[in-house]
Amino acid sequence: MSTTALPEGAPAPASQVPKAPSQRKRRSKLRLRNTLMGWSFIAPNFVGFAVITLVPIIALFYYSCTKWGALGDAQWLGLDNFEKLFTRDPRFKTALWNTLYYTALHMPLTLAASLGLAVLLNRKLRGVAFFRTAAFFPYITSIVAIAIVWNLLLSPDYGPVNQILRFLGVDNPPGWTVSATWAMPAIILVGTWREMGYYMLLFLAGLQTIPPELYEAAKLDGAGAVKRFWHVTMPCLRPTTFFVTVMLTIGSMKVFDLVFVMTAGGPGRSTMVISQLIWQQAFVEGDYGYASAIAVVLFFLCLLFTIIQFMVNRRSNK
Amino acid sequence: MKKTSPIALLGVLAMALTMTACGGDGDGTSTSGASSTEATTEAPPTDTATAEETSDVPEETEPAEEPIVLSMSGWSLETTPEFQVLADAFHAANPNVTVELREYDPNDYETLMLADMSSGSATDIITIKQAKFTTQWAEGGQLMDISDIVSGLPANVSGAGSYTVSGVNYGVPYRQDSWVLFYNKDLFDQAGVATPDGTWTWDKYAEVAKELASKLDGVKGTYEHSWQSTLQGFAQAQTPGADLAGGQDYSYLKPYYERVLDLQDSGAQETYANITTNSLTYQANFGKQSAAMMAMGSWYVATLISQQASGDADTFNWGIAPVPQYDESTTGTDKVPVTFGDPTGLAINANIDPAKLDAAKAFLQFAASEEAGVALAGIGILSSVASDAVTEAYFAQSGIPTDDLSKFAIGTHETKPENPQSPYIAAIQSALGEAHTAIMSESSSIDDAIAMATETIQAELG
Amino acid sequence: MKRSLTPGRVGLYAGLILAAAFLLLPFFWMVSSSLKPDNDVFTIPVRWIPEVFRPSNYIDIWTKSDMGIWLKNTLILSVVVTALQLFTGSFAAYGFSRIRFPGRDALFLAYLGTLAVPWQAYMIPQYKMMAKVMPNGGDSLLSIIVLQAFGAFGVFLMKQFYESIPEELSESARIDGLSEYGIYRRIMLPLSVPAIASLGLLTFVNTWNDFLGPRLYLRTRPNFTIQVGLKVFQADATQGSQFGLLFAGSVISVLPIAIIFMLGQRYFVEGIATSGMKG
Repeated sequence: MSTTALPEGAPAPASQVPKAPSQRKRRSKLRLRNTLMGWSFIAPNFVGFAVITLVPIIALFYYSCTKWGALGDAQWLGLDNFEKLFTRDPRFKTALWNTLYYTALHMPLTLAASLGLAVLLNRKLRGVAFFRTAAFFPYITSIVAIAIVWNLLLSPDYGPVNQILRFLGVDNPPGWTVSATWAMPAIILVGTWREMGYYMLLFLAGLQTIPPELYEAAKLDGAGAVKRFWHVTMPCLRPTTFFVTVMLTIGSMKVFDLVFVMTAGGPGRSTMVISQLIWQQAFVEGDYGYASAIAVVLFFLCLLFTIIQFMVNRRSNK
Repeated sequence: MKKTSPIALLGVLAMALTMTACGGDGDGTSTSGASSTEATTEAPPTDTATAEETSDVPEETEPAEEPIVLSMSGWSLETTPEFQVLADAFHAANPNVTVELREYDPNDYETLMLADMSSGSATDIITIKQAKFTTQWAEGGQLMDISDIVSGLPANVSGAGSYTVSGVNYGVPYRQDSWVLFYNKDLFDQAGVATPDGTWTWDKYAEVAKELASKLDGVKGTYEHSWQSTLQGFAQAQTPGADLAGGQDYSYLKPYYERVLDLQDSGAQETYANITTNSLTYQANFGKQSAAMMAMGSWYVATLISQQASGDADTFNWGIAPVPQYDESTTGTDKVPVTFGDPTGLAINANIDPAKLDAAKAFLQFAASEEAGVALAGIGILSSVASDAVTEAYFAQSGIPTDDLSKFAIGTHETKPENPQSPYIAAIQSALGEAHTAIMSESSSIDDAIAMATETIQAELG
Repeated sequence: MKRSLTPGRVGLYAGLILAAAFLLLPFFWMVSSSLKPDNDVFTIPVRWIPEVFRPSNYIDIWTKSDMGIWLKNTLILSVVVTALQLFTGSFAAYGFSRIRFPGRDALFLAYLGTLAVPWQAYMIPQYKMMAKVMPNGGDSLLSIIVLQAFGAFGVFLMKQFYESIPEELSESARIDGLSEYGIYRRIMLPLSVPAIASLGLLTFVNTWNDFLGPRLYLRTRPNFTIQVGLKVFQADATQGSQFGLLFAGSVISVLPIAIIFMLGQRYFVEGIATSGMKG
């Protein structure tokens, strides 16, 4: 942090302000001013955010403690929904496990792939605009078409992927989306394939903040490309990496569309994830209260992961 | 660049604001909301749901001839003319009542309907697309008790039981599809195999499917779509003692699955894995003659006729037979074959304007009348009313097979509901749906999959 | 700068072209399917080149639907939502990253927390509320604008980016007498062009392709967006879907965002952000 003297009205860490009694009044005035100033920046977004998102989410917490079919009056249940969730619902356990499985693999894979793509495509290269657009294409192509095509490619009997595997001498290639064992890996791969261009864009933006002088200095010191990546690129990208990690984790925990269109949770319930269970409870089985309870559990799980990531990030920043 | 970007940003913002203003005005001043088939008209007809609250100020002492507008929910209006046919026919008989349609997305129908109900903007007449949602809507206080008109329906109307929750009737069925066996006469002739004669059990069907596959090059004996219904619907309807809602024993599914897995393995029918990973459609499979037989709902009759006429399907001779039976006790044209199917029905919004209630009830009664049945049959829709006049009108469609067995298959059957009313029916079907995909993909044994489903269902039933 | 054609470079290009083909495969399939009759779209094995060409799908889609109106609606939504998201997001992010005040971090955590709740879990309570206050019972583009414009995503993204800009820059500006608004406007915004570009592109694309929200709110055809409109060609299980038209429409709907992306990605040029920091 900077040590320059702070002018009046500037954000000042409390410890830096002298604690003389005569200045206490000034300090609280400053604090009020900062608060007003801060809120003036946040307000345009916050007003919309609070009304549109925060209020319904608070309602969701209430509904999680009720029996409610989205129609009529909700009936207060206390913690019954949560009790059922943790003790009596075999589907929740599977969905939770599947979601963690997806997140644990999809998050690091996508992080690595998108970072790699960004570094590869952050150079002066003929046709770089085309290649960047190609990398982003899976994200803009209709997800229905993606599910159809990937299912085709991975089709156990006629799919090109298994044809290649057989050609390479694999006698019993995986059944992919129609196999309880392989459906999740298939979805994870397609998920990474689809989203790496999206996160690449964020990394590309982050890469622009790295002063070229740093690379030049590293080159003068005789650092090779690998060394420059680890000692210049990675440290400078930390804010972006942190953002991508948090967003990817939350996004993976909430995964829904892709699973829904690719396997609809099957075969059996081998790819059923939490968000899908929420959807099914609310809109197929008509138990909105129970669906809300599942959403609340998901909320706390994501919050836990996010707080851990914040703590790790803060420590490595020091 | 760095200097222009904030300005560019402001420019975009300014442009945006002008656009919002325009958009806002246009949306704000019009009171539209009702869907119309003329999608491009500038001012769609007044939304009856909002009109309900505002424009019904006039005293209710007006004579009965005062025009009444009922709103009704429907879907895919261009390709599903049944709603308009009912509305027009009713209007012709009751000129003071107009039924206006509001269009929904067929694949998200229940979700959108739920949203409308929750915000109090659902239509006066609510079409029940899937019977299994009746309990949820009725218990949520959205459907009106219409036991009085349901008990007065003629005896030849079937399917009302699908809308009965705790002894109260909430819906009138106007349409009743049931599952039949479609077969391609040309392919049977080419293979030299005798066409169905109404005496088939499932074992006989399997035998014929294998024979067809062996005699026809590149054509499967039969096609069974990837849905849960194609197996479980029959098993549940035909097996003596099968109790779907009971939650105790689902072993009755096993023989049906064993037969189908054997057909898959022998190559007599396309595998589940190929159907799902290649997104195969049943319309293309039967219509483009990739399979010689197919069990499917009677709704496919109208689709096949229109696809043959438009060239989307090949031109070939086909017929309709009763679905194969569990055993010989129900086979033969002197018996009544057992099949399954859910009706499509109409319900009345519990919050309907009382001034419109009588008209709404009259419309529901009309929808389940022979007159409406004949009108529906004219566009290829099977009414819930079983009568000679309806059957005759149905077989008057051009392009429909008119042999005796086809008429028997359409006209004579015991149709059991696929989703008997139970508060747990949706949960039960979800669990059995998981079992279906597990078994059909051969990622789980039949016994294991059924055991897992039973466990889930019992946890749900508490 | 002249580059000679080294084997390494040839290898790089060959790899990139192969990868691009792999990434564009579903799009290619979509184009191929959009030129087929409906019942030819799904076959075993898949046919990548249509057997029967039906280019008329691209004419029919304009006459059989309101593609023009839907594209216009989608464009209005995407532009307005992007502009609002950029403005409110970057503005709020400045408050979160550069001004210290009590309750700030808790508030930010609340923002992040909402990202963790799947929309379908609270869409009904939200719809109940919106249907009451929005014009036309919610069936209006305004609903979607309000729904999309104030998300936490943009705030978080911009906040992270601001934190990579050295604090010293704003401090020297403060000494020069610039107000906080002035710092935001004259220092932070110009420096965050790549972040603005990526947030803008992502918001635009997400709004363009959003389906669930518009599906729930937009009920009448003149109000449809392209993604909702295309569902008209998708029938329920009892009828045949018009796949040829569906995929022709999907191809048409992808092209504008591909072009916008091509144009937008040029903001990611080395040094564009850092050049301002030298001074």
